[in-house]
Amino acid sequence: MNFGLSDDQRALAETVRDVLHAHCPPAALRTERRPGWKRLAELGFFGLLQPAEAGGLGLDLVDVLPALEETGRACLPGPVVETAVLAPFLLAGTPELASGAVSVGVLPPGQAYLADADLADLLVVVRDGQARLAPRARALLTPRRGVDPCRPLFEVRLSGAEALSGPVGPALERATVATAAQLIGVARELLSVTVGYARARTQFGAPIGSFQAVKHHLADVAVAVEFAAPLVYRAALTAGSDDAERDTSAAKAAAGDAATLAARVALQVHGAIGYTEELDLRFWLARAWSLSAAYGTTAAHRERLRAAIVRRSP
Amino acid sequence: MDLDFSPAERAFRAEVRDWLGGHAPPPLPSMDTPEGFAAHRAWEADLAAARLSVVSWPREYGGRAASLIDWLIFEEEYWAAGCPARLTQNGIFLLGPSLMRYGTPEQRAHWLPRMATGADVWAQAWSEPEAGSDLAALTSRAEPCPGGWLLHGHKTWSSRAAFATHGFGLFRTSGARHKGLTYFMFPMTDVAVRPIAQLDGLPGFAELRFDGVFTPEPMVLGQVGEGWRIAMATTSSERGLTLRSPGRFLATAHRLVALAADADPVLADRAVRCLVEAEAYRLHTFGTARRLMAGEELGPAASMGKIFWSELDLRMHALALDLLGDRAEDWLDGFLFSLAGPIYAGTNEIQRNIVAERVLGLPR
Repeated sequence: MNFGLSDDQRALAETVRDVLHAHCPPAALRTERRPGWKRLAELGFFGLLQPAEAGGLGLDLVDVLPALEETGRACLPGPVVETAVLAPFLLAGTPELASGAVSVGVLPPGQAYLADADLADLLVVVRDGQARLAPRARALLTPRRGVDPCRPLFEVRLSGAEALSGPVGPALERATVATAAQLIGVARELLSVTVGYARARTQFGAPIGSFQAVKHHLADVAVAVEFAAPLVYRAALTAGSDDAERDTSAAKAAAGDAATLAARVALQVHGAIGYTEELDLRFWLARAWSLSAAYGTTAAHRERLRAAIVRRSP
Repeated sequence: MDLDFSPAERAFRAEVRDWLGGHAPPPLPSMDTPEGFAAHRAWEADLAAARLSVVSWPREYGGRAASLIDWLIFEEEYWAAGCPARLTQNGIFLLGPSLMRYGTPEQRAHWLPRMATGADVWAQAWSEPEAGSDLAALTSRAEPCPGGWLLHGHKTWSSRAAFATHGFGLFRTSGARHKGLTYFMFPMTDVAVRPIAQLDGLPGFAELRFDGVFTPEPMVLGQVGEGWRIAMATTSSERGLTLRSPGRFLATAHRLVALAADADPVLADRAVRCLVEAEAYRLHTFGTARRLMAGEELGPAASMGKIFWSELDLRMHALALDLLGDRAEDWLDGFLFSLAGPIYAGTNEIQRNIVAERVLGLPR
């Protein structure tokens, strides 16, 4: 049992973090639709999970999990999980995926609207266990209102779609785990920014972070993130096993709860300024909410988890 | 990064499971009764005879020099087999690691093996009537005398002290708030002990009065004035991990899930959450064990674990009562004990302050 990050995992995450720090700063979230993507593609990010024959590195999901956390921490827009994690399992052999030249949008089961469809070259719609694929050019997209300004939603109608053979489940499970990792990154950033604010903001002649009511809120977020992350790493390690469904749902529910708690506390500690569009915090709040609902809501995962555990117990 | 146990770790688990299968006692009377104390002590001696009482300790002190991973495996098997709470825990989990790190070779050689077999049973003597969460406000003092020290003062909420043979705690050797504290061990022989019944009606606590109780020089742990540092250092090293191992909570969570199998979805969901949280604590702890084995310090992050497991334990026992109603008799002792979790070893309010100030860097 070696449940610790390897040097390679850390190094990859640090590289992604540095690239996103330089090329996906908060200001870019207001002016660009897809900041940082070109540099990530140059880095080979979209080929990390692709097999070598497709121009990738053939890594396992767990190898890239800390890097995926960084994409959440940076609030990176665009169909990152779909292109980097889901596509290698569902669309193996599709040219130009590993290079990042082609990106993929996915409508998972149980959801009405497809996120980031405007940026995707290929669209996948999963209904009744069956995935259908079409180029975006052959889809009718209708914008729908969503909570996250950097993750727009679209109602999609495909025409002339191609039915994909092979199971969809393994690709969806991995995308769900990757989304959970992003939620952990979002939660870590929300905590870090809010701690910074609580140290700087002074009221009653003292930093508000010196007051125990504020301290305890933030400690609760730290604990929630600290104990959600191991479940996400476990789910990456058991992907493809008999425990995949159960562990994926445990991970997604815990990461969703941690991120929404982090968002709730971040907003409360920031007070009125946090309740504005002007403050960058809004992007991370929205990402916590939008990803919590992606690839199954927290409630849906809790229900799946209950079925898996109670049914299985002696 | 993996979830796999090595062949040696699997063999160790099998050995422990096999031995416990043949030796685990039936439920014992409470250790806070004379007969229960004796029964728990006999069980500790059985464990020690099989070299299973302190598996991670060096061989010369009665252990097997096993890794922390092995110790966690032992704990999982121990609690899954329904074995009794550890009578020796103040010794083996609190004082023992401090002795290992700060004791002289003579102190270690004398006290550790006796602790490991239950020959000596140790009580902790931290709190005082006016020094609880603010432990450094304590006023009990030690004054030097020929051959040792005379202890004066008043300790309270001292767990196991009603029946223990020895005690340990901090006493003031000068006025300086932290640097005036020294770590003493003492025999209980001359201490005036007033047992205090806990919520279950049994004397799990005691009040201790020291009226010039003599303790010899070799009963000082570390240097004079170093007591605060020793007491705090061991909370954030291995002890932060050994205070409550995941195996205990996993065993409880598995019992709950079995109880909730036919319950309505709301109760079943609570049981499943408990199981997943116990699994999260387990995974987190295995990660922490790796870091400690690689020589890293746990530091104030230990406080996050304490908040997490103690509040999980509360939720688990509250759920058991909700599931069972007035048929919860087998869970009542555990329920009462879970209520103590957020209080002992530093209240959860203090732990949250530690997380906020020393992990997150918020101002004091």
